[in-house]
Amino acid sequence: MSARMGHENVVMGSLAQIGRCGLFLLRILSATPRSMRHLTETVRQLWFVGGLSLTIIMTCGLFVGMVLGLQLYHVLAIFGGTSATGSVVALAVYRELGPVVTGLLFAGRAGTSITAEIGLMRATDQIAAMEMMAVDPIAYVAVPRFLAGLIAMPLLCCVFCGMSIFGGHLVAVDWLGVDNGTFWSNMTANVNVWDDVINGLIWKSLVFGAVISLIAVFQGYTTAPTSEGVAYATTRTVVASSIAILALDFVLTAFLM
Amino acid sequence: MIDTVQAQSDDRALVRIRGLTTVLNGKVVFDKLDLDIPRGKVTAIMGPSGTGKTTLLKHITGQMRGDAGQVWVAGKNVAELSRDALFELRERIGYLFQNSALLTDFDVFENVAFPLRQHTKLPEVLIRNIVLTKLQAVGLRGASSLMPSELSGGMARRVALARAIVFDPMLILYDEPFVGLDPIALNQVLKLIRTLNETLGITSVLVAHELEAIKQVADLVYLIANGKVVAQGDPKSIADNGSPWTSQFFGGEADGPVPFQYPADDYAEALGFKQGAA
Amino acid sequence: MSQRKSYAVGTGLFIVLGFAALAYLATQTTSVVNSHQGASYTVDAQFANVGQLKERAPVKVAGVRVGQVESITLEAGKDVADVKLSIDKKFNQIPTDSTAVIYTSGLLGDQYVGLQFGTAKNYLANGAQLVLTRSTQPLEEMLGKFFGAGGAADAIGGSYKVTAHFTNIGALTVGAPVKMAGVAIGSVSDVKADPVKLDATVTMSINNRYNQIPDDSAAAIFTSGLIGSQYVAIQPGGSPNSLKEGDQLVLTQSAMQLEDLIGKFLVSGSSSGSNNAGGNGNGSSNQPAGKH
Repeated sequence: MSARMGHENVVMGSLAQIGRCGLFLLRILSATPRSMRHLTETVRQLWFVGGLSLTIIMTCGLFVGMVLGLQLYHVLAIFGGTSATGSVVALAVYRELGPVVTGLLFAGRAGTSITAEIGLMRATDQIAAMEMMAVDPIAYVAVPRFLAGLIAMPLLCCVFCGMSIFGGHLVAVDWLGVDNGTFWSNMTANVNVWDDVINGLIWKSLVFGAVISLIAVFQGYTTAPTSEGVAYATTRTVVASSIAILALDFVLTAFLM
Repeated sequence: MIDTVQAQSDDRALVRIRGLTTVLNGKVVFDKLDLDIPRGKVTAIMGPSGTGKTTLLKHITGQMRGDAGQVWVAGKNVAELSRDALFELRERIGYLFQNSALLTDFDVFENVAFPLRQHTKLPEVLIRNIVLTKLQAVGLRGASSLMPSELSGGMARRVALARAIVFDPMLILYDEPFVGLDPIALNQVLKLIRTLNETLGITSVLVAHELEAIKQVADLVYLIANGKVVAQGDPKSIADNGSPWTSQFFGGEADGPVPFQYPADDYAEALGFKQGAA
Repeated sequence: MSQRKSYAVGTGLFIVLGFAALAYLATQTTSVVNSHQGASYTVDAQFANVGQLKERAPVKVAGVRVGQVESITLEAGKDVADVKLSIDKKFNQIPTDSTAVIYTSGLLGDQYVGLQFGTAKNYLANGAQLVLTRSTQPLEEMLGKFFGAGGAADAIGGSYKVTAHFTNIGALTVGAPVKMAGVAIGSVSDVKADPVKLDATVTMSINNRYNQIPDDSAAAIFTSGLIGSQYVAIQPGGSPNSLKEGDQLVLTQSAMQLEDLIGKFLVSGSSSGSNNAGGNGNGSSNQPAGKH
C-alpha cells in the first residue's frame, strides 16, 4: 500500500485514507451493539489504554503545570498580577493544554500500542483465527479498543489537568509565595464549569479520544501483515493523530466559542 | 447438477467442490476445480507451492469466494450463506493455522477456552473440565498456565489443535501442520491427527508437502496443479500412476510440467543476442 | 481468571481516579465554592461597596492571612453588602472595635479584607459584627489620594470651593487632584453637566492654605502620563485679587481627547513630513550628480 501511495497524488491519497477511515468508523459503529457481549474485553482494554497511560499523563501534567506556574508568575509579576497565576494556569490547562497535550501523549503511548498490537494480530493470523472461530474481529478487537480510547481520554485529561493545577500551585504558592486563598479564589472566580470544564475539557477530549483511537485501530486493522507494515502503520498513527488533534483543536475552539 | 449434488451431500462427501474458478490479481488459481472430501476420512491436498492449497481451505470456510462454481459444506453452499449462517457453520469447523495463531494476550488455558467463552455461557467448572480434557488429549494439560510466547512451535501447534477441537467439530482443516517441526514434534502431530480421526470420527483435510508423513496418515490424496486436480488416489499408489505431474512431484524433479523457469520473455532477446535485434 | 480480575480492579481504579479528578476540577477550581480550612469562627461586616471582593478571598491582619471571606450576600431592601469572614480559631484576640477595610493587592491584584485593630479589651467571637468598615474605593479615588489631595486632608485644614466650566472633562472624576505647579492643592469635589450652558461644571475644593491664587487663573485638565488618571491644573494669572469661596475660574482648557492628541501629532508629523519630502527632493536631485 505504501508503494502505491507514493505514486498517487498526496492529496488524493490522504482523502482516500480519510474516506476509508470513515467507512471503517461505520463498520465499528455497526459492530458496537454486537460487541456488548465482549464487555470484559473492553474493560481489559480500558486498563491497557487508560490505566497504563496514567504514569506518563500524571508526570507530564505535573511538569506542564509547574512550568506554567513559573512562567506566568514572572510575566504577571511585571503587572503586579501574580494573584491571577492560578486562574491563568487553570484556564490554559482546561481550554487548550489539557486536551491537546493529553491527546498527543495518548496517541504516542496508547495509540501506537493499539496499532502495533492489532497489526501483529493480523500478521500472525490471530484476526483470521477469530473469524474462523466465528468471532467477529471488528466486534472483538476493534470496538473494545475504540470504546476504551473514547472513555479513557476524558478521564486521563481530567487527571492531567488536576496534576497541572497541583504543579502550578506547588510552584506559585509553595515556592514563589502567591497567597493560597488568592490562588484558589481567583481560579474559582474565573473558571466556569460549563464553558471551561465541560465544553473545553470534556468535549475536546472526547472528540480527541474518538479520533485517536479510530486512527489507531484503523491503521492496525488495515496494516500490511509484515513487520515493515506494522512499523509503517505505527508511524502513521502518530503522524495522523497529531495532525488531527491540532487541526481539530482549532476547529473545536472556534466552534465552541 | 445442483440437485444431484444436494442429493448426494448426505452420504459420502462432506465437502463437495464443483466447477470452482477463482482468479486472483489476474492469475487463475482454480480452473473449474472438482473435488470431494469424504466423510470420516483423512484427505490430503498436495501440490507445488503457490497452487492455492491454502486458498482452497479459505474457500471451504467461506473466507474467500470463487468467481464461479460452488463449494458445498454439509449440504450448504458456502458462497450463499448469510454472515450469521456462515458463523454458525464455522463453529462446526476447526481450523489449524500454519503459524498456530494463538491469541498472544491469553495463556494456553484461556486460548483453548476462548471459543467456549465467546459462544456459550457455560459455568466456569464445565469450561475448565472441557479445556483440561482437550489439553490432556494433546498432552499439554501441564502447560495450561504458560503464555503463547513460552511455547515451542510444536507445542503451540498442539495448543491450536486443542482449541480447534474444543467444540468437537465435524471437520478440521489443517494448514501445513508439519512445517518447521522436528521429527519428534512431527510424529506427535501425526499421531494426534490420526487419533482424532479414529476416535472422534472427525473428517480431516490436510494441506501439506511431506509425502512420508502423508503416507502414514491420509486415506486419500489429491494432487493439485495449474488450478486442477491432476491426480488422486490413496497415498501408497498415487506416486505410481504414471502421470508426469506425479512423477515430478513425488520424484522431486527440478524441471517438468512445473517449469523451473518462471514464465518470462525470450531469454536471448532479453540479453540482446537475438539476430533480429542486431 | 485471576488475570481478568486484576484487570478489572486496575480499570476500576483508573475510572475512579479519573472521575475523582473530574469532580475535583469541577468543584474545587470553579465557581462552585467549597471552603476548606481548620477550625474557625465567623464574624459579620457590612460594606457599602465590596468592589471586586470575591468569596474565599483572604482576610489579613498586618498583611498576614488569618482567614478568608466565606460569603458575600446582599440583603433584600438594603444597599449594603453583608460579608461573612471566616477567621482561624488561632486568631481569637481581635478587638471588637477593629476596622474591616477592603484593600487591593497591587494595581491589578485581587481584593482582600484587612483588619485594623482597635483598642477595645473585648475580643470578637463567633457571630459578632464588625461595626467599623471601610468599603472598597474606586481606583480614581485611590489615585486621587495617592496624588496627595485626599478629601480628608482637605477637611483638616478647611477648604473653599471654586467652580470652572469645561467643554469636555474627559475621564475626570470626583476625587481627582487639583494641582498647581505640579503640587496637589485640593481635589475635585463635584462634576456636573450644566443643563443651560451644555458644558460640564467642575467644583473643586482647594485647601485654605492656598488662598492667594489670582482670580484670573486658568484651569486645565491634564493627564498624568499616557495611562494615568486626569487632574485639574491651575495656571496662576496676574490679577491682584485672590480666589474666594464660590468663585468661578473663567479661563479653562478642556481635556484633550486621545483622538485629538493623535490628530495633532499626525498633523505636525505631516508638516514635518513635507519638510522631509523637500529634503528628499534635494537628495534625489543630488544623486545623479554624485553618480556623475
